[in-house]
Amino acid sequence: MNLTPEQQELGRRNFLRVLAGTPAVAALGVAAATKGPVRGGPVRLGFIGLGGQGRVLLEQTDPGYAEVVALCDINPLQLQKADESLVKSGRQAVKHYADWKEMIQKERLEGVVIASPLFTHTDIAVACMEAGLHVLCEKMMGIDDASCRRMAEAARRTRRVLEIGHQRYYNPIYQAAYAGIVKPGLLGEVYHARLVWHRNGNWRRKAELPSPDYDPARWGYPSFDHLINWRLYKQYSRGHMAELASHMVAITDWFFGAQAQAAIGSGGVYRFKDGREVPDHTYATFEYPGGRDAIFTSIESNAFDNYYEAYYGTKGTLILKGEVEAYLFEEGAPADAAKATGVAVAPRTGPAGSASESRTADAAAGATGVAGGAGRVDRLAAYRLEVSGFCSAVRTGAELKCGPERALSSARACIAGFDAIEKKARVEIQA
Amino acid sequence: MDLTLDRIQQSALVVLRTLIGWHFLYEGFAKTLWPAWSRDGAPLARFSSAGYLRSSSGPFAELFRGLADVSWLPWLDHLVAGSLMLVGLGLMLGLFTQLACAGALALLALFYLSSIPTRGVYEPGAEGNYLLVNKNLIEAAAVAVVLAFRTGRIAGLDLLRGRERTQPVPSVAEATR
Repeated sequence: MNLTPEQQELGRRNFLRVLAGTPAVAALGVAAATKGPVRGGPVRLGFIGLGGQGRVLLEQTDPGYAEVVALCDINPLQLQKADESLVKSGRQAVKHYADWKEMIQKERLEGVVIASPLFTHTDIAVACMEAGLHVLCEKMMGIDDASCRRMAEAARRTRRVLEIGHQRYYNPIYQAAYAGIVKPGLLGEVYHARLVWHRNGNWRRKAELPSPDYDPARWGYPSFDHLINWRLYKQYSRGHMAELASHMVAITDWFFGAQAQAAIGSGGVYRFKDGREVPDHTYATFEYPGGRDAIFTSIESNAFDNYYEAYYGTKGTLILKGEVEAYLFEEGAPADAAKATGVAVAPRTGPAGSASESRTADAAAGATGVAGGAGRVDRLAAYRLEVSGFCSAVRTGAELKCGPERALSSARACIAGFDAIEKKARVEIQA
Repeated sequence: MDLTLDRIQQSALVVLRTLIGWHFLYEGFAKTLWPAWSRDGAPLARFSSAGYLRSSSGPFAELFRGLADVSWLPWLDHLVAGSLMLVGLGLMLGLFTQLACAGALALLALFYLSSIPTRGVYEPGAEGNYLLVNKNLIEAAAVAVVLAFRTGRIAGLDLLRGRERTQPVPSVAEATR
């Protein structure tokens, strides 16, 4: 999806025009708390997993909402980088741990932020909740259906806050699109959604060995490559489905107000035949009730389309591009239908490039991104709002935007999508 | 003419005292509530009277504005919050009621003097249009009524204190003399 500058302008103006009657875009996303005012300082957080994603969350942690008490990672170099991030943002370096169990035992924490590899999410999250800690866990929720259900059950049983890091829920553009366009039915009947995440680069990463005697076997990895490139191996990862599609499917669930019922998939390792096990080209169709479909594609051989979600309705088309821009087109409207409005959207202020490691290949595509200006938001603001929202939920009982039930729904769809690609078959998602 | 207060009149005075007491108590308590979170789930800023003092208006505005920048302002903040709570507790419990009333009057006088509404038009931060008479002044008048009728003798812990117990409830004639 590459729109001409004129189309971008038209779509952006349409989007802003229909939001003129809704609350200010920047004000959306504030969840009402169930109690307050309540005594209490910033929520005392420990971070588990300080790779790229963990560091983004660390950097976006508002000191008013959370106090970073300790950091944990099995790779000392990641901890060093995390400390640098803290110091750069005017905060002090904090205590380090290699073992998360030791950290939650020794530190007086209220919650943890988990940004470790997918296959570890469940064990860590469940143990933390059983230890009385609230959990903000990176997406995807768990590596398989049973793991996800275990997490949701633990949250219910322990009555701890469990939020899964689908930050789009906190993105003001998505909030505005839902409240001002999707919910009022401006798109008409939406039968089709296109979810695209195209990159032209190798997902495999190279990293420096922390020390000559560093032993990845201590942490259950047969090699340092497996530790660094866990996303490429099935025992740790669900590939594009977990790292990319889960975000988009989560939003589609929200916008459709439904859960996917089945997935059809294809794809494989077509370009980077380097021993990886998860596809570098992924295609999946998610079937929703009422004859609605969402088609997800992710390729690692061309970044022309970059990434976006598009919802095609009988009355209009909504495109959310790169988490920073939104376009709205009326079906059959003349090209000059758009009018300028005075609705302001917060300007993009942060570097969009410092994103998660799942998305390093996006950086090159981002360089050719569309022009800035009205209609754009700071993508990193969503992470900031996400961590703050989690802390509000802990302290005041504010409603979570992506709690266990929502996260479970999209995770199960993506796990089914991964299975469908493996089996080259249609996989039904049991309710 | 018998001007002794009947039960309803006595109750009304005690209710008035209790409401004023709650107003003071919660105002003071909220100012000590830090660190804390608001109802919309955001951390609250620590109370400081600096903003209030800076927005002073009326004939004594300069005097109060000057207080906003003094080094001992944090102590003043504690004093204000503590005084509000003590006065509030006294009024609610009917304990040292007359002293609590005097404290309430002193505080309300300060609040009134810091922002005497002399312009008669709506000003930012005010809920309505005031000319000389605002809610601080009206509350002060209500406190004066509570003070005049010595409501500690009607209901409250002052009744348990021997000195107050022996005093009869005043008549309207006495109270308004």
